[in-house]
Amino acid sequence: MHKFDYVKARSLEEALRALSQGGEKACALAGGTDLLVGFRAEDARLRHIELVVDIGDLTELAYIREENGCVALGALTTHAAIAESSLIRVAAPFLATACSQVGSPQIRNRGTVGGNLCNASPAADTLPVLVALEAEVVLRSLGGERRVPVSRFVEGPHRTGLRPGELVTEVRFNRPLPGSRTCFIKLGRRKAMSIARLSIAVLLRTGDGGVVEEIRLVPGAALPVPARVTAAEEILRGQGLTVELAREAGEKLAQEMVRITGQRWSTPYKVPAIAALTRRAILTAGGLEDVATRSQA
Amino acid sequence: MSLLDLKLKVNGKEYRVKVRPHKRLLDVLRDDLHLTGTKEGCGIGECGACTVIMDGRAVNSCLVLAASAEGKEIYTIEGLEQDGKLHPLQEAFMRHNALQCGFCTPGMIMSAKALLDKNPHPTREEIKEAISGNLCRCTGYRQIIEAIEEVSESASKGARE
Amino acid sequence: MGVVSRPVPRVDAYEKVTGRAKFAADLYFPGMLYGKVLRSPHAHARIVKIDVSRAREVPGVHCVLTAADLPAARSWFTYLFLAEDEVRYTGDAVAMVAAEDPDAAEEALKAIEVVYEPLPGVFTIEEALEPGALQVQDYAPGNIVRNSHWPVRRGNVEEGFARSDVIIEREYRTPFIEHAYIEPEATVAVPDPVDGSVTVYGSVQNPYMTRRYVAAALGTALGKVRIIQQTLGGSFGGKEEVMGLMCGRAAVMAVKTGRPVKMVNTREESFVESAKRHPFRLRYKIGATREGRIMAFEAELVDEGGAYNSQAQFMNWRACVHSAGCYEIPNVKVDVYAVHTNNVYGGAMRGYSSPQVIFGQESLMDELAEALGMDPVELRRKNALRFGSVTITGQKLDDQPVNVLAVMERVLEEADYFNRREEYTRQREKGGPRRRGIGMAVSYRGCGLGAETADATGGLVSVQEDGSVIIRSGLTDNGQGLSTSHAQIVAEELGIPLSKVVYQRVDTSTMPDGGMTVASRGTYTGGRAMLLAARKVKEIIFRGAAELLSCRPEELASSDGLIFCSSDPSKKVSFEEAVRHCLFRGETLTQLGWVVPPELPWDRPTGQGKAFPTYMYSCVVAEVEVDTETGQVEVLRVTAGHDVGRAINPALAAGQIYGGIVMGMGMALMEEVELHKGVILNPNFDSYTIPTSLDMPEMKPLLLESEDPVGPFHAKSLGEPAMECVAAAIVNAVAHATGRRVRSLPANLEKVLLGKTLARS
Repeated sequence: MHKFDYVKARSLEEALRALSQGGEKACALAGGTDLLVGFRAEDARLRHIELVVDIGDLTELAYIREENGCVALGALTTHAAIAESSLIRVAAPFLATACSQVGSPQIRNRGTVGGNLCNASPAADTLPVLVALEAEVVLRSLGGERRVPVSRFVEGPHRTGLRPGELVTEVRFNRPLPGSRTCFIKLGRRKAMSIARLSIAVLLRTGDGGVVEEIRLVPGAALPVPARVTAAEEILRGQGLTVELAREAGEKLAQEMVRITGQRWSTPYKVPAIAALTRRAILTAGGLEDVATRSQA
Repeated sequence: MSLLDLKLKVNGKEYRVKVRPHKRLLDVLRDDLHLTGTKEGCGIGECGACTVIMDGRAVNSCLVLAASAEGKEIYTIEGLEQDGKLHPLQEAFMRHNALQCGFCTPGMIMSAKALLDKNPHPTREEIKEAISGNLCRCTGYRQIIEAIEEVSESASKGARE
Repeated sequence: MGVVSRPVPRVDAYEKVTGRAKFAADLYFPGMLYGKVLRSPHAHARIVKIDVSRAREVPGVHCVLTAADLPAARSWFTYLFLAEDEVRYTGDAVAMVAAEDPDAAEEALKAIEVVYEPLPGVFTIEEALEPGALQVQDYAPGNIVRNSHWPVRRGNVEEGFARSDVIIEREYRTPFIEHAYIEPEATVAVPDPVDGSVTVYGSVQNPYMTRRYVAAALGTALGKVRIIQQTLGGSFGGKEEVMGLMCGRAAVMAVKTGRPVKMVNTREESFVESAKRHPFRLRYKIGATREGRIMAFEAELVDEGGAYNSQAQFMNWRACVHSAGCYEIPNVKVDVYAVHTNNVYGGAMRGYSSPQVIFGQESLMDELAEALGMDPVELRRKNALRFGSVTITGQKLDDQPVNVLAVMERVLEEADYFNRREEYTRQREKGGPRRRGIGMAVSYRGCGLGAETADATGGLVSVQEDGSVIIRSGLTDNGQGLSTSHAQIVAEELGIPLSKVVYQRVDTSTMPDGGMTVASRGTYTGGRAMLLAARKVKEIIFRGAAELLSCRPEELASSDGLIFCSSDPSKKVSFEEAVRHCLFRGETLTQLGWVVPPELPWDRPTGQGKAFPTYMYSCVVAEVEVDTETGQVEVLRVTAGHDVGRAINPALAAGQIYGGIVMGMGMALMEEVELHKGVILNPNFDSYTIPTSLDMPEMKPLLLESEDPVGPFHAKSLGEPAMECVAAAIVNAVAHATGRRVRSLPANLEKVLLGKTLARS
């Protein structure tokens, strides 16, 4: 177990001051579901940490609210709270779905949206969804506040743009326009507590005559940094949604994945699998029946 | 490394312990309070043997620093028996042979309790979901689910009467 | 019957649902130190230098030991307490420490400086068998595990193949599989400062085996080592060698420091140093007539023993006996042997080779049926063992019921097999990415240890003056419920309520060595010893009761705590009264029952002989839905029927079946210890996945009863059969669903989708 000093923040102000004083050697502790695993393993990424600033009691950072069409999640909002939120279930149902599939009930009761972001696991369940929502991260420090899109905040596997002295306080996104439909599908090796082998987040809005006006496709555990795959989106945009187009978009997305990541040991599997998942998610979001949504029975 | 002087409330009782900052709630429950019903199976929140209820929710006590647990209401398996009377879940686990080696049992019961406290009439799927973070290698889960189901059914009956 | 055959609650249920049960890690003693072990990062290396001087200076550290400091043997049966000059796999320990608290112990480990010279290693069966391959152990030329070769020669396979119309050859593979008991290994060794003896409390499956390790490590007499089994958090064959080593190390440090020493493995340490299910490479050639009569069976079964091995020589015997399945085949040539590699060692795990062997052989049966254009069930019907059949080892089954077909037909019916098979076949032809399949497997299993080794064991029954009864066995309750079944057997025989029976855990100083709790012999063999002891006690008590009732002992019967005259039940006396009468007269009501089964003849060069006194029979039908676009397999329903003889406790028996199904499902679909150059890549439950409650299929257990002539109250073995043909049935179902066969376990996402293995590099 990694050893460190500990301070429990009683206010946001106190947390920021402690983080600022600690600089690079300090880190914030929220739910602890990733950080404690890292400390236990004496993870090289945490070796420099000498001070843990526990922000777990800052209840003012645990909220889900909507203001002027913008949905804001306090950084300490747990996965369980998001999955159970009636606001999220209506405004961004795929975010609720993704959160309901994180780890186990125990993990969802502790793990937070801010923590999931800062851990920046390539297999994180919430990241593809947040990118699809074009969410922004709100970062506070003694120096003030800045906002960064999630897609830029996450810089690589387990790497973020969090600066010393900074704390993620909120994640926010514009509520998708009326008529938007979403879908999140995760593929794992078992039905619970699985690390995503692959996932896909889809946000889709069709206009008059079923023409796709907006489409966002973000795969998980497929790219070094979760990002929209615009080349695949373009296949659908401005078109009437069909099974064939969804299939094409899925295949394009898979090609893009290979173009970006190159060939890896898992590529022969991931290519057909992500193509199929993407097709299914597009069709589910679009309300079209796919051959695969029916089981034989 | 500093020593922290913590006040923990476990099973309704206040305890004072002095611990180093990296100590987990699990370590303090076992090594300091000798509440050894809470088990360590993996240390990374994957097996659920260390499940306790903190402020009404099931959590892995291996992923909670002892210091973070200060000010919270913590319940362990030892807190279920009241005045020598077993909790209905404990009775049901016995009746249904919902255990074999017994190592996962305390955590399993705590997850089940957290579920029933919030949702006294869960469906079978909700029961499976609620214990999906608790690994059991002996039982194949079936008799565990039946035991929890029985308690929720008798709760339904109680509610109707 | 009163107590037997009823689903009474387990005798250890209360302590387990309240969290009061004391597992080894739950013990705390005054002055207790915490022990830790430093293991090799290399799979094969020469130890150039070990410097522990800095570690000895860490505050709170009481001892730091290397092989040079060991008081006696550095190894037991080649497994190393501490390595001296060479490490052969990543579990090998090079130093150990004991300190005031775990933090200090951890710090001391970090302060130990070891210089290694990494050496090349062998990491697969093929590498181990290559001519001129590096030799892992000096005493194992060609890397063949000593004594591990077991042949079977029956008839003439060349002639058999010549008379076959269809011949197929196949190869199947199984990986290293982790027991994944939820309790990691733990022990506390407590030294006695007066006589130099040591008491070791531990999560041990085989206390007498553990005692040998500890005595060897200390260089002391067995009588000065006392092993007490704590409540055991699952074992499945796993807490054997690893516990011997751990207890030996703890005992050495306890004696050295004069303080109790506790050692608890982390999950990662458990993965690294505990035994695994042996991987098998299963090569077959099988021939049959056009009508489906199997004429010849040839097999080469090679298992990977890893760096050390003390099990393959026993396990492979079982493998050779069961290699051809529950079929009558006239011409058989089988060779089973194990090889050493620089990987983690193979050991006992639930089934003791059968789950691997059945996976291969029952896959082969389906493939043969396909080649014959025959229904797989029909092929099995044609060749199954029947009453009077002769097994491949030449044993004529005419002294016991032979229930392969009875069990199979019943399970097929309960599973609605034929209708579903037809329905899914029809639907598959229609296409679509989600496809269902149904598959089956049958097996038989010799009960107990058979001709492997003497299947002797004891049971002690001691009646106290108040009528309460202490029972002790040399076999252990590993969670499976041995304490309950033994208590039921004794309560039944004595005619007393179960609540009067007190089970006491194994303590090696109070019971004679009854061998190991393995081979599903807890009830089958151990129960018989208990029954024998209870009978001896009962005879004495009945003599006393007869005096009180003025009748003959033969006229008496007992139930519910009363002893009465069968012809006139109003003539009765309470069990307690009869007991007091006997004790008052100076009788002893403490009796040891000891069973020694008759020796079974075995001819090693030909593999012919009577392998086991009796057999139990199983059939499993599995239904799956396969997502052919992602490779995901959902197990929908499993119907499992077992000829259990008689279930002593139907609820516990059902529990064995449920647990066996889910463990078998893990083997079929997701479990595999991934290794790279001997380093385990997935040493915890985030990456080594076992089934969760959400993965559990619908399960239908069938306890099929028969009159076993040997077991107590006709009971047979169940613990291992409950899981042994599950993986085969699931993989057969997947093949039915997809039309493509996975020949290498597990049938994970990649293999089901692509039909090939993708390995992490």
